Amino acid sequence: MKRGHTKMKVCMLTWEFPPRIVGGIARHCYGLTRALAKLGHEMHVVTLEFPGVSDFEDVEDVKVHRVKIELGHPNFITWTLIFNHFMEKRVAALSHLIDFDIIHVHDWLTTPSGIASKNYLNKPMVCTVHSTEVGRVQHLKSPDSYMIDGLEWWMMYEAKSVIMCSNFMMKEVVNHFHLPQEKVSIIPNAIDAHEYAVDVDKEAVRKRYGVMPHEKLVVFIGRLVPQKGVEYLIRAIPLIVRNHGETKFLIAGDGWSRSNLESMATATGYGNKIRFLGFIPDSERIELLKSADVLVIPSIYEPFGIVALEGMTAGVPVVASNVGGLSEIIEHDRTGMLAYSENPESFAWCVNKVLSDHGYADWIIENAKKKVNEEYSWESVARKVSEVYEKTCER
Amino acid sequence: MPDEIYFLCILHNIGAISLEKSMSIEEISQWTVMEPQKVRENLDKLISTQYIQKTYRDGSERYHVTINGIRKVLSMYS
Repeated sequence: MKRGHTKMKVCMLTWEFPPRIVGGIARHCYGLTRALAKLGHEMHVVTLEFPGVSDFEDVEDVKVHRVKIELGHPNFITWTLIFNHFMEKRVAALSHLIDFDIIHVHDWLTTPSGIASKNYLNKPMVCTVHSTEVGRVQHLKSPDSYMIDGLEWWMMYEAKSVIMCSNFMMKEVVNHFHLPQEKVSIIPNAIDAHEYAVDVDKEAVRKRYGVMPHEKLVVFIGRLVPQKGVEYLIRAIPLIVRNHGETKFLIAGDGWSRSNLESMATATGYGNKIRFLGFIPDSERIELLKSADVLVIPSIYEPFGIVALEGMTAGVPVVASNVGGLSEIIEHDRTGMLAYSENPESFAWCVNKVLSDHGYADWIIENAKKKVNEEYSWESVARKVSEVYEKTCER
Repeated sequence: MPDEIYFLCILHNIGAISLEKSMSIEEISQWTVMEPQKVRENLDKLISTQYIQKTYRDGSERYHVTINGIRKVLSMYS
């Protein structure tokens, strides 16, 4: 029988699952679990509680079990270990009803419960590495960072198979953790293109955000933390406005750097053209992307960059840093534009080029859509993950 | 990181994430080892940005992290 065809009972552990959306992990788990369920796997997601959402939900054949965190602690790491205890308890309770074949964890946050479950159930564990602490903070320098780095190593040591989303991540992890390469599978992220196949009244959407029909719209969507490099977009704004005076900049997302970035935006002298939207729900995210003239992704560290796929599917030209997974998703001058990382002049040059040349922008959009449709569907990703599950259980 | 965001993280981690789990200023002060006056200053800033919600139970003020506040905290670690 062809590999990937055995139906399995999968216990997936993730600290975020919609509507608890923080970064890319929630979107990844949502897309992947539904696609794996469509392939016939019995999918159980054990995740954390979220206000207003029930403890158990069936989401398109994915069983979502939300765990209440009964205790708290001011320290984040301690809090993480506490919620892992409650996750582990839930997996133990579920295991009386379901004979899981495999445990699948995402990043260090659910590693302790994943490892415990693996050992008491005597089942293999697969992990997906979305990013690493050493990549996120650039240099390990605090006790918490060392602890997280240690947990990441431990997760990959205990896992029988390790999934990474890009060659960049594979190199980073293999070098930093001395991980045997034969444990690793590279499987990219994906996107549900159907969600973007909606008609949007662009003019109405832009009006809602105060963007007039004659104005250009440049958008950033992501967490407002240093690794996302939003400051380089803000520093590029005067250089963009010099060429395209009638341009508005919308920055969607939240994070601990927000107040610093807001001050920086005001200091450019173009504060009236820049608006911070905070967190926006998915429906609004799609409308915004479909109404924008350019999507800028100025990250300084980006293991994959699922937002690039979102922009490419939505039909907006993407200008991104030439780093990490972004360099693998985007082919410069064909499916998007790659700017020098941490270089406002380079971002401004790329944005100006796209805003000035409509024929070029349309050509990029067309190429990008084609690439996403061919290479980044959840169905194809789920088949690859399914093969990893099967290989892992055979070993 | 701004002081009030660090404070928001602590409120999240100690579990004040819904109306039922909301806390009084005295309780927050004990958990955070912070003077009630300083707690109030931080809470006021976070209420103005809608990361914290103030409610009343049995005539006393209670505080909890809003959904946007939870997302703000989690964005630091994802």
